[in-house]
Amino acid sequence: MKKQHMPQVGGALLIAFFMAFPFVYTANDYPYIMHLLITGFFYAILASSWSMLSGYAGQFSFGHMGFTGIGAYTTALFSHYFYLTPEPTNLCAEFAIGGMYLVVVDPIGVTSSTLVQDCLSQAMTIWDGSVEVTPMPVWLGIVLGTVMGGIFGLLIGLLVLPLRAAYLALFTLGFAEILRAVVSGEIAITRGQAGIELPYIFRDGITLFGRYYDKTDKLPSYFVMFFLLLLCLAILAWLAKSKFGLFVRALREDQDAAAALGVNTTRYKVMVFVITSMMAAAAGATFGHYVAIISPNNMMILQMSLVVAMAVVGGVENFVAAAIGAIIIEFALEMLRNSFEIGALTIDMTIWRLVVFGILLMLTLRFSRNGLIAPMIEYFTRGDVGKETVAKRVAGKGAEGPA
Amino acid sequence: MEFSYIFWSVIGWMVFWAVAGSYVTRRVYLRRDLDTSNAGFVGAMMGAAAGPFGLAPLWFKTPEIGKRLLVIPPLAAVGLIGIAFGLADPSNNCVSNGSFVASQIMNGLIIGIIYGFMALGLSLIFSILGVVSFAHGEFYMIGGMIVYFMTAVWFPGINPGIAILAACAITFALGAAFERLFLTPMYEGKIDRPVEYGILITFGLAFTLQYFVQAVAGANPFKARRFIDFPIIRLPSVEDPWLIKTSRGNMQLFDTVSISNPRFTAAVMCILVLLALLYFLHRTWTGKALRAVSQDREAAAIAGINPDRMNMLAFALGGMIAALAGAMLVQAFSWLPQVGAIPAMRSFVIVVLGGLGSLPGAFLGGIIVGLVEAAGTGCVPDTQRAASYIPAYGMIVLTLTLLLRPTGLFGRRFAGGAHGKF
Repeated sequence: MKKQHMPQVGGALLIAFFMAFPFVYTANDYPYIMHLLITGFFYAILASSWSMLSGYAGQFSFGHMGFTGIGAYTTALFSHYFYLTPEPTNLCAEFAIGGMYLVVVDPIGVTSSTLVQDCLSQAMTIWDGSVEVTPMPVWLGIVLGTVMGGIFGLLIGLLVLPLRAAYLALFTLGFAEILRAVVSGEIAITRGQAGIELPYIFRDGITLFGRYYDKTDKLPSYFVMFFLLLLCLAILAWLAKSKFGLFVRALREDQDAAAALGVNTTRYKVMVFVITSMMAAAAGATFGHYVAIISPNNMMILQMSLVVAMAVVGGVENFVAAAIGAIIIEFALEMLRNSFEIGALTIDMTIWRLVVFGILLMLTLRFSRNGLIAPMIEYFTRGDVGKETVAKRVAGKGAEGPA
Repeated sequence: MEFSYIFWSVIGWMVFWAVAGSYVTRRVYLRRDLDTSNAGFVGAMMGAAAGPFGLAPLWFKTPEIGKRLLVIPPLAAVGLIGIAFGLADPSNNCVSNGSFVASQIMNGLIIGIIYGFMALGLSLIFSILGVVSFAHGEFYMIGGMIVYFMTAVWFPGINPGIAILAACAITFALGAAFERLFLTPMYEGKIDRPVEYGILITFGLAFTLQYFVQAVAGANPFKARRFIDFPIIRLPSVEDPWLIKTSRGNMQLFDTVSISNPRFTAAVMCILVLLALLYFLHRTWTGKALRAVSQDREAAAIAGINPDRMNMLAFALGGMIAALAGAMLVQAFSWLPQVGAIPAMRSFVIVVLGGLGSLPGAFLGGIIVGLVEAAGTGCVPDTQRAASYIPAYGMIVLTLTLLLRPTGLFGRRFAGGAHGKF
């Protein structure tokens, strides 16, 4: 086996490991470990798509968590306010669609849950169980959230076209903050800081291979998240290998030179924004359905700094490394939670672990700019190429050897 | 409902003509082969202020864009929004209650001066190093923390002035050390993209400092005592002190505007330090060297200035300025490790509004942002909603600035531009 094939083999082994893991692992903390893995996959999607945006394309956006929030809130509001009924309620705004009625529930906010009923609840009291109300399918919400993320990505991509570097970072930060303020301010619709509830990914549980899993069981969500991660990585890999990746990297290195050489920088800038925002939105929507509640705090700058740090520690110019870095760091941060005592001094690791993490981030940036995991991958993919070339040159065959 | 209808239709009309003005004016100026650098901005402002009646002469006569065209339309547009608001909601506190308006303006001015001062540090760092320091809010937080701990925990009864000096010294040293340890590779061409590196590394510093302070000090809010008491003044007479009336913690001017002691002392201190800073920048050799490096690095190096040394000085000084703002404001607000986030955001807004790297711009921008936030919090009818939107007001200013006039008020250079059509 050649050394260059090591990453492929390693990747295949890693995928096989994650596929088998939920069936093999049986310790007591099974739900906890599964939860960590699902969260790790969520951050892995964000970190890898962010590394495509900032590491490959050089568009330093701090608004990535905002797109996650857009995805999550779109599907949350969709499942919260839209229902299908076979009969008209005559109370809500409703549209007839092929024998069914699409009911749009009126927003009543947080405070009035006991005093005022929304129009659908009123109608259901009148019907007294005689009419079956169908909620919207979860997958449709996730798709809508993804599309919405893409639309906002297009908008932001067009707006930031003339901005570079520091201006871009500040603008995207501003966008995320405005979004958060809107979500926490419009309490009547989004329930503000109280957060909005979402149905689980599999609302009624699911039967897989003859085994029934409850809606709160981790295994189905685990695979949904894992396959979403694989899908995102596959798309990113395809993009990075194709002309797109080449152009986008040219954009990063020198925008003016790329434009002079005929790269349509406007198109690629906007495209990379749309694609990565869609990934962030899809991850956000799916994760929202997994944890079943989201609040504006999910879009906070702290979350953004976690994603940035994960991508940087993994390797910001290699999305696979960023994804692996995200999973490892998610685990490491959880493992470091245990407080310990030195003499009479109690070290509260729940906070100190973040200090350690911050120092790790700074040291990584300072001394190993490609992150900690990307160099390992590169060592195997490129390690021998240099040596082979040198060997060929020494043998005097370098010039006519196969390219 | 009445309110929404009138107000939002005026806003909609303004936005429509602003967008049209921005787009068409640039086209018109381009076709006539005139300077287009400010055409979009003037078109947008003219459209917002006067709609088609302002845009038509602009398009047909295409006057040369001078100072007058740059200043009057924006002010007119702001005035128009104010008038629309007044007509739409005559019973609002902001329209009917003069003393409320006066105290809001005073509050906005004072807080604007303080944040403008803080943004000055950010602007200084940017103009010399070309880096937007994301750790600016953390320096602010640490400044306040040091003053609180020195005056209340470590040495109770110490003169707050000494605590403030200590805070300045510590943050200055911290900034200098950080610059030496982490920012030096930027200058030697070892890094492909120094601007991004600068953003990330200061981001890492912010993260580390914030959690370090939280780990050491805990997450409970602190409040420092006020540094000095006002002397009791009653003017013009004790019986009828309509001009000025003070108690130990408060000052009342003209029977209407009341200013709290901590904010007043903070603003006065900021102005004094600002004057000292201006003296330093314009009258001393080191200050002149700093400004020279910000104007042209190579030329300054040829003239015998060591630009790397100036980098260290600028970063340390910028951090110290933020820390000083924090040290003065710790007596006004309750203090948490997370307290730096909002002023840091405000500083970003202010420096972009004033023009990245421009010192007078930072100060003027601070006052504008202070006034906008005061108007936003005081005038929005639904108070709960207004409170939620506080962080957004500044960000809306930022977004508008970047869209309309990315160089800011006094910006000198702006690297930007995209090529090709989508």
